[in-house]
Amino acid sequence: MTWWRRAFPLDLAEESHFSRREFARFLALVSAGFTTGIGFLWMWKKPLEGASDPASGPSGHPVALGMASDLKGGESRLFTFRDAHDACILLRTSKGELKAYRQTCTHLGCAVRFKNERLECPCHLGFFEPDRGFPVQGPPSRPLSAIAIEARADGSLWAVGELPKPTLENLNHRADCPRDKTEVQA
Amino acid sequence: MNIPRVRISPAALGVILVLLVIQIYLFETILGAVLDGQRSVLPGAFGISLALTAIALFLAFRSTLTRGSKE
Repeated sequence: MTWWRRAFPLDLAEESHFSRREFARFLALVSAGFTTGIGFLWMWKKPLEGASDPASGPSGHPVALGMASDLKGGESRLFTFRDAHDACILLRTSKGELKAYRQTCTHLGCAVRFKNERLECPCHLGFFEPDRGFPVQGPPSRPLSAIAIEARADGSLWAVGELPKPTLENLNHRADCPRDKTEVQA
Repeated sequence: MNIPRVRISPAALGVILVLLVIQIYLFETILGAVLDGQRSVLPGAFGISLALTAIALFLAFRSTLTRGSKE
C-alpha cells in the first residue's frame, strides 16, 4: 500500500474507472478545443468586443460628436461608434488636444472615465494616460483602442474610424521621448 | 481470462500535459494579440496549435496499441 493510500484511506468505488489512458485522451481533446478556439478566432471576421479593427479602415458612417468648442480642457463626452454597444469617450486634454478612445478597459472590460487628467477604470483602479491611451498604473497591460476623429471646417467633430494600437514596431521612440529630444537639440 | 493490459506510458502522459500547457499559453497570447487588433498572427498560431493537437491525439490514442507492463 502506497503512503498516500495510508494517509487518505478512502475507498472510492469508481476511482479506478478513470484510467490514465482516458485522462490522456481527455487532455488531448482539450488541446483540440484550444485549436478549435484559435480557428474560430481566425474565421470570425468581426472584431471582439472592445478590440480595435484597424483593417476596416475609415468608417463608412462617420459619427457626429458635436462642436469642438463645446468641450473645455479636462472635460469628456460619451458616444457610441460601431453600434449601440460600442461605448467610446471623447476628451480634451489639458494641452487642448482632442482624443477619443473606446471606453472598454483592456483589463476586464469595465468602462473607463476621464478624471483628473487621466483615464481611470474604477473597477480595479487601472489608469491610462490620455495622449495615446497607454496604461500607466494598475492591472491593465494593453493600451486603449483609439478612435480617429476629424474636425471639419464648421467646427464640428466626427468619429471617422479606428487607429491602430501603438506597438513597439510603430512607436516612434525618437519623437516620443523627451530626453532624446533634449539630446538632439543639445 | 487473460485480458491484455493497455496503458499509456507516464512519459507520453507527461508530454501531453506539457503540450496542453503550451496550448493554454498560446491561446492566451493569441487572444491578447487579437484584442490588440493583430489578427495576422492567427494563421500561424492555428498551424502550431494544430500540430500540437495532432501530437497529443497521436500519443493519447496510440496507447491502445501499447502493451503496458504487468501490475
